[in-house]
Amino acid sequence: MSPALITILEVVIICVKVVVVCLILFMLPLPLTYMERKVAGHIQVRLGPFRTGFHGLLQPFADMLKLIFKEDIIPSQADRFLFKIAPIIAMVPVFTVYATVPFGESVTIPFINQKLNLYISDMNVGILYVLAIAGLSVYGMILAGWASNSKYPMLGGLRSSAQMISYELALSLAAVGVVMMSNSLSLLDIVRGQYDWHWNIIYQPVGFFIFLIAGIAEINRIPFDMPEDEGTLGAGYHSEYSAMRFAFFMLTEYVAMVTISTLGVILFFGGWDGPSFLPGIVWFVLKVIAFIYFFMWARFTFPRYRFDQLMAIGWKILLPLALLNILITGLVII
Amino acid sequence: MSNNRKLNFSITNILKKVLFIDLIQGLAVTFGYTFTKTMTMRYPDEETWIPYQRFRGLHTLNRNKAGRELCVGCELCAKSCPTQCITVVPMEDKTGKGIADRVAARWEINLLRCMFCGLCEDACPTEALKLGRQYELAGKKMQRQFRSKDELLAPQAIPFDFEGGVIVKARLERDEDGAVVKPDLSSQKRWW
Repeated sequence: MSPALITILEVVIICVKVVVVCLILFMLPLPLTYMERKVAGHIQVRLGPFRTGFHGLLQPFADMLKLIFKEDIIPSQADRFLFKIAPIIAMVPVFTVYATVPFGESVTIPFINQKLNLYISDMNVGILYVLAIAGLSVYGMILAGWASNSKYPMLGGLRSSAQMISYELALSLAAVGVVMMSNSLSLLDIVRGQYDWHWNIIYQPVGFFIFLIAGIAEINRIPFDMPEDEGTLGAGYHSEYSAMRFAFFMLTEYVAMVTISTLGVILFFGGWDGPSFLPGIVWFVLKVIAFIYFFMWARFTFPRYRFDQLMAIGWKILLPLALLNILITGLVII
Repeated sequence: MSNNRKLNFSITNILKKVLFIDLIQGLAVTFGYTFTKTMTMRYPDEETWIPYQRFRGLHTLNRNKAGRELCVGCELCAKSCPTQCITVVPMEDKTGKGIADRVAARWEINLLRCMFCGLCEDACPTEALKLGRQYELAGKKMQRQFRSKDELLAPQAIPFDFEGGVIVKARLERDEDGAVVKPDLSSQKRWW
């Protein structure tokens, strides 16, 4: 094939990959809401959805239809432009993260002998990019809280910003330990450094612990769901949203949960590394699902923290612990 | 003493705090419940709840062992009703089909007004009127909420000597008014 044709083919492949990843991410809330309901049901010794379709399998589609056809309400005193754009601003960063997340080793497509990389791009500052972009999703929440022109959404947005700042630090510093182990910021190199069961969880248990807690706080899940604390804030920063705009926030939250799970797998659980009787990408997906299950499991086990407790844990325990972890990792490596 | 919490610096306590033993125990409890049998009653489709005998549901008019109507149309139930939802029209029965000569020509209850207090049951001198255990009274037509004597004389799905307080198998069926839950009294289980 001529070089021009190959270039065109590469562009087409990248476009197809972007579309496929976006479609998968847009469809994610369907299986995840179902899974969350089922996990909740079984932990609380009840059945969960059972009436819509076989074992309630049509429930997520019913939810989707409901959200599409609901009335879209905008409060009369709201800042209409920001109110409309906030869900999209919240949604963009969590999707953008997947530009650099690798899902598996490269495979060769049969017939045309073209190598297909199972990632959109391999950035040499991948982890830095992911952490920086993921932190931007707080803009959506705080804009939603501000534009609603209502007390409780505003408080939810402010809490969200404070929480993001506190826990982003611990999250990034936990990742620094991994970066020191693999000598690279590229997510691909970090995974390749963990070949043959040399997973970072063995060498960085404290780092993983910090990453897990800070990750749960970053994606606003119980026990750290301060921005949408329904006991004190109504529904939190999205109190005034309905219909598809609310669905965008829900999508954001679910994709953020998958992002943190993916990052956890890549940084600490060897990515697609696993016994060779299954392809790498299957191991990758299984590990991500295990992470998601853990988040749901924790959600239906623990009570919510108070906001001052949350701040105290972030600044007084996780941050010093992360710094200590880096110090000890550095000493051991030398 | 403003702060009653005593600091416990024993090694086990510190280890418990550092290793999050309590949190892990909590996770273990909820994980254990994941695999236990669920306690949900699948109400309309598969199971239904039979109330205790003291339950006050839909009215029923009894007959004696010979099959005669016990109601003598004395109107005491209608008089004692606080919401005045019972209509009784007595008549003289020359054929001797009733227990006495006087029977109710018309006995009608307006379930839209009835509050199931049971005063009519108490007032009945012949023990003809009882409040049964049928509680699925919703319907699509308003006319269905006026139950006449013939409907109430028909035997109800749950007999009076059935103990109750149990879950039995049931199936959901449709009739002209909507859905009806048909209990199967032979299969019982206590749900706790």
